Amino acid sequence: MISASAALTGSYDYNEVARSVLIAIVASYAALDLTGRVTAARGRVRLAWLSGGAIAMGIGIWAMHFKGMMAFHLPVPVEYHWPTVLASLLVAVLASAFALYVASRHKMGWREAFAGSVIMGAGIAGLHYIAMAAMRLPANTRYSPLLVTASILLAILFSLIGLLMAFGLREETRWSVPRRLGSATVMGVAISVMHYTGMAAASFIFASSPNLSHAVNISSLANNGISIVTLVVIVAAITTSSVERRASAEVERRADEALQEAQAKLTRVTRVQAMGELAAAIAHEVNQPLTAIVTNGNFCLRELAAGGRNLEELREAIAEIVNDGARASAVISRIRSLLVKGAPERAELDINEVIQEVTGLIRSELARNRISLRTDLTADLRVRGDRVQLQQVLINLIMNSIDAMRTLAGRPRKLLIKSAKQSDGVLVQVQDSGPGMEPEVADRIFEPFFTTKAEGIGMGLSISRSIIESHGGRLWAVALPNGALFEFTVPTQD
Amino acid sequence: MADAEPIVFVIDDDPSVRRAIRRLIGSVGLQVELFGSAREFLHSRRPDAPSCLVLDIRLPGISGLDFQCELAAANIHIPIIFITAHGDIPMTVRAMKAGAVEFLTKPFHDQDLLDAIHVALERDRAKRKQEAEIATLLQRWESLTPREREVLPLVVSGLLNKQIAAEIGTSETTVKVHRGQLMRKMGADSLAALVRLAERIGIPNTKP
Repeated sequence: MISASAALTGSYDYNEVARSVLIAIVASYAALDLTGRVTAARGRVRLAWLSGGAIAMGIGIWAMHFKGMMAFHLPVPVEYHWPTVLASLLVAVLASAFALYVASRHKMGWREAFAGSVIMGAGIAGLHYIAMAAMRLPANTRYSPLLVTASILLAILFSLIGLLMAFGLREETRWSVPRRLGSATVMGVAISVMHYTGMAAASFIFASSPNLSHAVNISSLANNGISIVTLVVIVAAITTSSVERRASAEVERRADEALQEAQAKLTRVTRVQAMGELAAAIAHEVNQPLTAIVTNGNFCLRELAAGGRNLEELREAIAEIVNDGARASAVISRIRSLLVKGAPERAELDINEVIQEVTGLIRSELARNRISLRTDLTADLRVRGDRVQLQQVLINLIMNSIDAMRTLAGRPRKLLIKSAKQSDGVLVQVQDSGPGMEPEVADRIFEPFFTTKAEGIGMGLSISRSIIESHGGRLWAVALPNGALFEFTVPTQD
Repeated sequence: MADAEPIVFVIDDDPSVRRAIRRLIGSVGLQVELFGSAREFLHSRRPDAPSCLVLDIRLPGISGLDFQCELAAANIHIPIIFITAHGDIPMTVRAMKAGAVEFLTKPFHDQDLLDAIHVALERDRAKRKQEAEIATLLQRWESLTPREREVLPLVVSGLLNKQIAAEIGTSETTVKVHRGQLMRKMGADSLAALVRLAERIGIPNTKP
């Protein structure tokens, strides 16, 4: 037997230590995994995830500590005061709940992180020392103040690391599982370090028999039972979380697909609609030269039938036939390039060509609304892009300008189209002298289904923006005192 | 008056089309005047001659159909031939209902346009002739004395001299003199002719 006033020398069962570290790692993984679920959920579901997660995590942390204590063998019988043991479990669950709450919030600043880690660290340290206090053995427990302080500081520090990791890893990415595993290992080891520092802070001085009321002896069977139940609870939590995550990712993926499909459809619809609006203008554009050609041709036939003496007039008529033929052919090739179907293609093109093609098509529409067009194009602006899509964006912006100026009275209706070089690409501006827009409208016009037109459906600008963004550029609006300015950029490289 | 040289007005915003139409119409010996917009046409001084208007539907600032209504509202009654690059049925119906002579789709057959122009000029000529006749009749009516103007409606409603004399309180001989004067002044050689003339200038029968 050991003499009185001598400290008891304990020894560690390293198998048990290893198991405790394993539980710490698994519990940490569960914590990291569940944070993401709590973050993604709302309302009651969030509360359910928060409480379920806190219970699983709390049991895990608590089991790790308890396991760690069981790994410590003293040469005297040790029993445990079970109400205190339950109290330590409660502390663990509460600390976990708090940690999950902090890490799953929308934002986490340094103040929240520090406050959270202090509370969580205090909780873990509390759990540890409460659990120690549950020990019933024929010895007095003495604590080394230095090591106790160190263990508390370590608990706070590791809580901070844990919170930051959980916050950073809660989004789903391709590498989130391996990263979570790595972080969980770091956290698990850290929790264990804290625990064993706390254990080292205690020394046991032989004393008389303890008060054994409400104390239980933990058999090795019960000890293993705790580990197994703990692991089952944690694994169940992780499994549920992963199933739910997959289901919600599937729902998200489907919603994404549906959205993309709808947008593609709308792109086609607005293109068709824009084409419909343009069809009248185009018919006019083609039929004008054809009318002149046919009429001049008929005139020539009549002149020739009558003897063809007026050669000068005949020559003029034929020259006009040739000119109008070229004019009609130019219109047709512009339409053909507009109608080219198929997947968006990226080709090197001059943005000024695109602008000129569109203004050529829209010319009569402008004239009809008595709008004067000025273009200010910087030479040689090559970009990579889809010609048809960029034309669509420009047509949309110009049509909007025309609509805005259609009822304008009292000042000139002016449309300015500018192109300029930028450090990383090309800037195109479409500016009108219409009534302009309120700043709050300028913020909203790119939203789908937002429209200021009586007959509009509010998709034009939203689609234009997604086209420009798919080119790697940006499209935005500027409200001017007298009019509106739309600007977009297209990068030179993909 | 009716002998004045007929003239065709053309309003189209495309100069090339305008010139071609002028050549075509000029080749059949008609006078042509070209306008780029409805406004230009309204501000021009139009000669007093049989005329018609070849009008594009799609014009800068105003549609040809609206311009047709504007002309009618301004009491300018000129026969209109519409030409359009993209006519549809409602448009055609509207134009014809408002009195258009023809509605041609660009590019049109030269003969169709020339035929339409001839119909339109003929219509304008007839209308101008009618207007001129009425103007003459009104002038003649103006030359009647107040007493003769009183007697005229009674004559055309078929009353005998005796009855007219009783109606206006004078002698039958005086009525006979008035009657002879007004027949002469109005240029009517019979009672039937006088009735027709009176009807044209809207002098009603006062008696059933």
